[in-house]
Amino acid sequence: MGAMKKPFGIADLIKRIFFLDFLKGLSTTFRHNVSRSVTLRYPDEEKWVPYRRFRGRHTLNRDERGKELCVACELCVKACPTNCITVVPVEDKNGRGISDRVAAVWTVNLVRCLFCGYCEDACPTTAVRLGRDFELACSDKSCTFFTKEELLVPQRTPEYFKGGVIVKARLGRDKIKGVPVIVPYFEEQKPDWWLKAK
Amino acid sequence: MTMDTAVLTEVVIIIVKVMIVAGVLFNLPIPLTWIERKVAGHIQSRLGPFRVGPHGILQPVADGIKMLLKEDIVPEKADKFLFKIAPLIALVPMFLIFVAMPFGESVNLPYVDKEITLYISDMNMGILYVLAVSGLSVYGLMLGGWASNSKYALLGGLRSAAQMISYEVSLTFAVIGVVMISGSLSLLDIVRSQYGGVFHWNVFYLPVGPVWFVIFVIAGMAEMNRIPFDLPEDEGTLGAGFHTEYSGMRFSFFAMAEYIAMTSIAALTTILFLGGWDDPFGTGILPGIFWLMGKVAVLIYFFMWIRFTIPRYRYDQLMNIGWKILIPVSMANILVTGFLKIWVP
Repeated sequence: MGAMKKPFGIADLIKRIFFLDFLKGLSTTFRHNVSRSVTLRYPDEEKWVPYRRFRGRHTLNRDERGKELCVACELCVKACPTNCITVVPVEDKNGRGISDRVAAVWTVNLVRCLFCGYCEDACPTTAVRLGRDFELACSDKSCTFFTKEELLVPQRTPEYFKGGVIVKARLGRDKIKGVPVIVPYFEEQKPDWWLKAK
Repeated sequence: MTMDTAVLTEVVIIIVKVMIVAGVLFNLPIPLTWIERKVAGHIQSRLGPFRVGPHGILQPVADGIKMLLKEDIVPEKADKFLFKIAPLIALVPMFLIFVAMPFGESVNLPYVDKEITLYISDMNMGILYVLAVSGLSVYGLMLGGWASNSKYALLGGLRSAAQMISYEVSLTFAVIGVVMISGSLSLLDIVRSQYGGVFHWNVFYLPVGPVWFVIFVIAGMAEMNRIPFDLPEDEGTLGAGFHTEYSGMRFSFFAMAEYIAMTSIAALTTILFLGGWDDPFGTGILPGIFWLMGKVAVLIYFFMWIRFTIPRYRYDQLMNIGWKILIPVSMANILVTGFLKIWVP
């Protein structure tokens, strides 16, 4: 039929008469029809929890006694390529006689932030870390700007959880807090069908 | 003049039967769209509609409300009357087909002890009526394409006319083959001639039965304008083909016509080739109408399955398949069928 005339053997004839290519195609689509779908039902039932190396929203850490690790050295401000971090240092007189340098203001503008991670590389005390929260959408400007108090709250994914799996989740509907994706519990790592799916 | 009670009862029964069939057919596209989208989704390893209701089962209802609320646009330079009437011309013949379609032998109604037949009318030339009426629906497509006053719609309408002419021939040939095998033009008698299990069905009338079956299914798919033969609404080259200018309910009339056409082709295939309501193994577990419905459902799934397996044919390929393959094969097959009928007892 085409421009190239191929030799037309008896095998080709049988192939055409019994629609063999056609049946092959049908069996392929039928296998897909009965196989498991690869759709991630993200907000309602499942959620992909990233690995620890994921760079999401910033978080400020405390040491084991609950003291803020940040010493307000402003290295993160200097390292930041987009100037999205603001640090105002003050002297903390509540220490043991020696006055500590602490951050009075530590804000990050997430609209400008490009999540490069230079701030956590620059930080000498591992105070600032890019965490695993990535659901940053909201309907006003409130979520574009995070203050120190908000950043000091531990993020929803616990640090011990290795990540890289899909966990059960549901969509919370809250008038005040918006619609966060709630992960009720972080269970142990399971074999992950989603990564193996073609 | 007083009317006889028996005649009056007959009239009432016929009206009730017509209303039931029309009601079922009118609501049939609602589950069928959902099933089609689910089949599409799962074949592509997706889930399909999932948000409205459990497993998205209310999605067609939401779509229907959306369609109803949409603005009813009639293009300024369109032929207003034809534009408005074309969806109805496409839709109504699809209902008319089911006047002649038998769904089973008679059943005895409990409580009133009345024998009613599971068909609206048993025409002695039912198959001719079905072919004639189903041929009418292409006027809806052609008029819709013409009246839209748009080049895409016009091309779609022309294509649907050409496709109709090409494939109606081989469809009718396949029907002639069945008529030769069964020896009747009445759909009821065609089914009766296939009673007695799976090997009495026309599809197993070897060696010609399977060939007729394949020809009929291919031509039927072309008749109902579905992929791989949906050249009239080829969105790759024609916008949306004959319904480019349609929106809202008028558009959904065309979609409904397509789904009812699919059902009618599936039902016709069942009646002509797959023994209608005949129990394939003679077990007698289920009433015949469930066998009919099951076979129709399997065929509808098959049509959807094909839709998401095979790409659309090019226009010249479509014509080649119709004229150079299907019609010669049907002619040769008629010859073989005739010889078989004469010389094989």
